[in-house]
Amino acid sequence: MVDELLFFMEVLVGGLLAGTMYSLVALGFVLIFKASATFNFSQGAMVFFSVLAFCGFMQDFNIPFVLAFIMAALLMVVVGLCTERFVLRPLMNASEDTVLMATIGLGYVLEGLAQAAWGVEVRRLDLGIGDFPVPWIADNLKLFISALDITAGVVAAIMIIGLFLLFKYTKIGLGLRAVADDAGAASSIGIPLKHIMLLVWSAAGVVALVAGCMWGARAGVQFALVDLALKALPVLIIGGFSSIPGAIIGGLIIGAVEKVLEVYIGPFFGGAIEGWAPYVLAIFFLLYRPEGLFGEKIIRRV
Amino acid sequence: MSTSTNILDIKNIEVMYDNVILALHDVSLKVPKGKVVALLGANGAGKSTTLKAVSTMLASERGKVTKGSIDYDGTSIDKQNPSQMVGLGMVQVLEGRRCFGHLTVEENIISGAYSRKLSKGDINQELEKIYTYFIRLKERRRSQAAFTSGGEQQMIAVARAMMAKPKMLLLDEPTMGLAPQLVAEIFNIVKELNQKEGVSILLAEQNTNVALKNSDYGYIIETGRVMLDGTAKSLLSNDQVKELYLGISKKGRKNFRDVLKEESLTKKKIN
Repeated sequence: MVDELLFFMEVLVGGLLAGTMYSLVALGFVLIFKASATFNFSQGAMVFFSVLAFCGFMQDFNIPFVLAFIMAALLMVVVGLCTERFVLRPLMNASEDTVLMATIGLGYVLEGLAQAAWGVEVRRLDLGIGDFPVPWIADNLKLFISALDITAGVVAAIMIIGLFLLFKYTKIGLGLRAVADDAGAASSIGIPLKHIMLLVWSAAGVVALVAGCMWGARAGVQFALVDLALKALPVLIIGGFSSIPGAIIGGLIIGAVEKVLEVYIGPFFGGAIEGWAPYVLAIFFLLYRPEGLFGEKIIRRV
Repeated sequence: MSTSTNILDIKNIEVMYDNVILALHDVSLKVPKGKVVALLGANGAGKSTTLKAVSTMLASERGKVTKGSIDYDGTSIDKQNPSQMVGLGMVQVLEGRRCFGHLTVEENIISGAYSRKLSKGDINQELEKIYTYFIRLKERRRSQAAFTSGGEQQMIAVARAMMAKPKMLLLDEPTMGLAPQLVAEIFNIVKELNQKEGVSILLAEQNTNVALKNSDYGYIIETGRVMLDGTAKSLLSNDQVKELYLGISKKGRKNFRDVLKEESLTKKKIN
């Protein structure tokens, strides 16, 4: 009995921690959705682009870890800058659907650029954190929990607290929340949409880099990271597209549910239900609570 | 009036939306420094379009000034964008209040100072000054704006605009959907801001009677044209204004076009 409970706890905690990685990806979507009411289809490509650049800097140019990370983060700010200047500004008065299509295009550009610059082969990313159970926890709590999962959880928590403080207590954060509520009214009192767009795209870029590092360390830095963004979709549907707490809780729910279902219900379906269980959950949410747990009542379909 | 005494000078503007829809045919209007000017007319007459042409918010609705000129404080505004206009001291309070619903009342008001470089202390000082005009908002400073009443939201919108320290305010239907007592309260505040802070005001209203009683000068527009203008007093006592806009009606005439038609008919008869 105790063993069973311990095993359940292990599955649950592992799922929750893996869920924080989904939260990280979803966070990037939420940032951009808040400011421009657009689902950013290029978020997955941003994850791939940023982490491949990071690996490229380290492995091709032998730049030390920290410096390479900073360079990759700056590169994402430049990407944000170019996106604002060459994609968003010309489409300022276009409909939201037009912007949505533009983000799909942007995604392809980023995927292409990344592979042109750094090649197509899978790269290994070693963060110095192993993807194996932490001995101390295994000995004392009898739970086998991966060090990488714990790191991802801590990093996600730090990012989330950082973003929360940025939005709540800084001037530009106030500007962002104002734009998220009513962009027209914000511009009527002189809040420059340009700066806000730049902020959110850069922030989303850095979040993508962090998410990319976590996923890259586990599964290798490869093109499949682009599709990872799709996993963020059920997360967003459950949490609500415009809510940062929603992205976090949604990620945790998806992570926990998919692991628990995989272990306990998976065998009845012949296993591997991890891949589709979150989408089933998302469908239930769409049917019964389309705005998500924390989203605003009006939701856009994407 | 020489140009230097007018803070706003609109000359014969024509406005088109989407390059096809002609919203304003010919509107000319002046706002003297430190005065309150009312822009009156029915739904769709072109009041909001005129205000948006002035604040340069038209561009975001795919509208464009295609003829004529707009001078603000002695310079042309045709190369400006809304945040530059705010920097120059012109702030528009949009129709329908448009508060930031998820922000608190106080955050809403502070957001109005975004364009100014103020320290925390300066902001608090400005805030206290603003609260002297909007006493009701001080009590509700911690509430979420979405949960305040319509009158309070209108006050938030005006207070927010005042935080930008404007020389000129454009108010688009500030009393829309408000109870008469609140209408009076809003206009009292507007008058006070005009007199104590020296803000020039151009306000669009459907509420002709109250608007004229609180203004110095008035313009009446219909289907994108100025039909009549004059001092507020003269408009209030004008028979046609009384008939068409104040509801003291004799015949079935509904707007100035009907009046003009009748006049040309009687002229023909005389000839």
